[in-house]
Amino acid sequence: MVAAFDKCETRPANIDAILEGLDRYNPETTTIFQDYVAQQCEDRTFDCYANLALLKLYQFNPHLLQAETATNVLAKALTVFPSPAFSLCLALLPAYTQPFPSSNTDGQAAAQNNDFVESVQKLARLSTLLESAQYAQFWSTLNSDDLYADLVADVAGFEELVRIRIAFEVGKAFREISTDILEQWLDLRNRDALEKFVSEVCSWQVDQAAGVVRVPTNKENEARSEVKSERVGIDMFGRVIRRGFEQAA
Amino acid sequence: MSYEERANARPNLGDDSDVEEEALVNDYREQVNFDDGMSELDRTTSLGAGSQTQDLQAQLAAAATPLEYQATLETKFASYDNYCSLFHYILNSEGPVDLEVPSYYWAWDVIDEFIYQFESFCRYRNRVARSGSNEEEAQLLRENPNTWGCYSVLNVLYSLIQKSQINEQLAAMKRGEDPLAYAGEYGSRPLYKMLGYFSIIGLLRVHCLLGDFSLALKTLDDIEMNKKAMFARVMAAHFTTYYYVGFSYMMMRRYADAIRMFSHILVYVSRTKNFQKGGNSYDAIAKKNDQMYALIAICVALQPTRLDDTIHSALREKYGEQLHRLQQGGPEALPLFEELFRSACPKFISPTPPDFDNPALNVDPVDHYTGIFMDEIKNTIHNPTIRSYLKLYTTMDLKKLAGFLEVEPEKLRSWLLVNKQRSRQVRWVEGGLLEGEPAVANDLDYALESDLIHVSETKAGRRLVDWYLRNLARVY
Repeated sequence: MVAAFDKCETRPANIDAILEGLDRYNPETTTIFQDYVAQQCEDRTFDCYANLALLKLYQFNPHLLQAETATNVLAKALTVFPSPAFSLCLALLPAYTQPFPSSNTDGQAAAQNNDFVESVQKLARLSTLLESAQYAQFWSTLNSDDLYADLVADVAGFEELVRIRIAFEVGKAFREISTDILEQWLDLRNRDALEKFVSEVCSWQVDQAAGVVRVPTNKENEARSEVKSERVGIDMFGRVIRRGFEQAA
Repeated sequence: MSYEERANARPNLGDDSDVEEEALVNDYREQVNFDDGMSELDRTTSLGAGSQTQDLQAQLAAAATPLEYQATLETKFASYDNYCSLFHYILNSEGPVDLEVPSYYWAWDVIDEFIYQFESFCRYRNRVARSGSNEEEAQLLRENPNTWGCYSVLNVLYSLIQKSQINEQLAAMKRGEDPLAYAGEYGSRPLYKMLGYFSIIGLLRVHCLLGDFSLALKTLDDIEMNKKAMFARVMAAHFTTYYYVGFSYMMMRRYADAIRMFSHILVYVSRTKNFQKGGNSYDAIAKKNDQMYALIAICVALQPTRLDDTIHSALREKYGEQLHRLQQGGPEALPLFEELFRSACPKFISPTPPDFDNPALNVDPVDHYTGIFMDEIKNTIHNPTIRSYLKLYTTMDLKKLAGFLEVEPEKLRSWLLVNKQRSRQVRWVEGGLLEGEPAVANDLDYALESDLIHVSETKAGRRLVDWYLRNLARVY
């Protein structure tokens, strides 16, 4: 059982009350939501539905837009991939941000004049790399420019959170993976660091001799063939049984 | 791989039983001659409205009548003022007002037209700013930033919902209690009740037009999506609801739920087609109908699903060749995805006045949403290729498969991960529309042991009991 999209276990009661009522449209609640985003950045929680409410306030009141908070919301959304969270956030940003510029000239022109646009486009690039599982490129892009570091600086443990997500996705698809690949995907270039992360965080085994990491069997990576049999319930026979009685009478 | 092969993957969807079909037909019969609830609206007599009546009747009729296509800005402003004064009268008079409304579907027409005018005004305003050609109109729009403002439109819809206490009434109905006990002075009157009810549907639409897809679905928390729902009584409302709910699901990447919504309404429409011909909303419905087929084609390509036979054959008729290309996937299919999305998506709007001084800053909102949607399509465009190859093997070497596909092994690993991730999806089971359980949306699964891909397949067993019962029903 997963929580519905509009729920969040770590959400405080006062935020919940605002989200349920019409105060979610009240520009005065902007600061409350902004503080809540800062808190999420600090304590490593994530509340997509509440953050969308903040972006909606920005959408309705463009003069309130705090570029830094908006990019923090996007950076937080990166840490929960694969999920529609990031694209749902983009959907509430102004169209001029052109997160995925169609022609390079258009987007770059807009980016040059506006820091916010440039930030959104950079984060969107990171999102694309994560959503398309190009993890090695994700890390090299992230490390290629100080601007990226600035964008994720407010999110406590950003790299750690992303690393855990990647490991989680790897664990669903692999039973065994070469340490060389995992090293690149997790951006842990030091063999000791990799072994420490893999065994302590993921509880996987490292086979040094073979140069592979073994992932214990779980529901997702066992890939068992099965035949789904037909569900047979008594209700299916209702019509036949009813017919039987009708005939008799 | 043919469509049928994939279609067999999910036999439990679109399996309309005979019983449901019968219910549908009865329901429609009921709809054609229904004479309860709604017709009370016709009988409401206006008491003591006296001198105001004439004027009001004109306002009421105007509120439900579409503007001319070539309406000038002045007309649009005037129409906004008309709505404002009408809603002000309905909401802020002392006590509920007694109105004689022209027809039972008047409430729907008013809300529908109100939002349509909001939508077209916002798009028009954006276009004027973008082209920068009509200085006179730009000036007029600049001077009236609050006309058709998003806050006033939302305010009207939320006020109608609150006044009528419709959410409380619907919640009571869900619990099996008498809604009248919760309706209050306003909500017990059909006028307020219907306006409130259709305002919920209106909100769904407005949120969707503004790109807030999760809030759009959340809005419908108290409405039960079935043929017994109140919206089902007005064809256009029924249609609109399913279109926007389906679209919102699609934007939340819940393709199975989107397909469920689109199929439901398309089956319904196809079975009631002959009744609607000649109706004045027929053209609008026919257009939305085609749009939904385009959307369902996109969703089925993203998630192979067995469709209802009616839908399946209609889909092949309308989009046969395109559907095939979508299902093939690969970069060649990208322009087609974009073309279909653009033709079938809602006319997205920007809620705030554009920047008249910098035409280049005013990007068409439709471009914005198309870009966001296409990013996900680009990320997943290789899924069909992966699936069609893996179907053929039980084990496969990754490097060998990469050789077949002429890509680097590194790329293929990413594609395999993406396909695996996208085959897990949240799917609605019960409760609010945003709720759901994670489900495996694919019959094909696999795991990698270093470079060895182990493929497994979930097959549906033969449905013998079902087969016997169907044949028994035919002869006995």
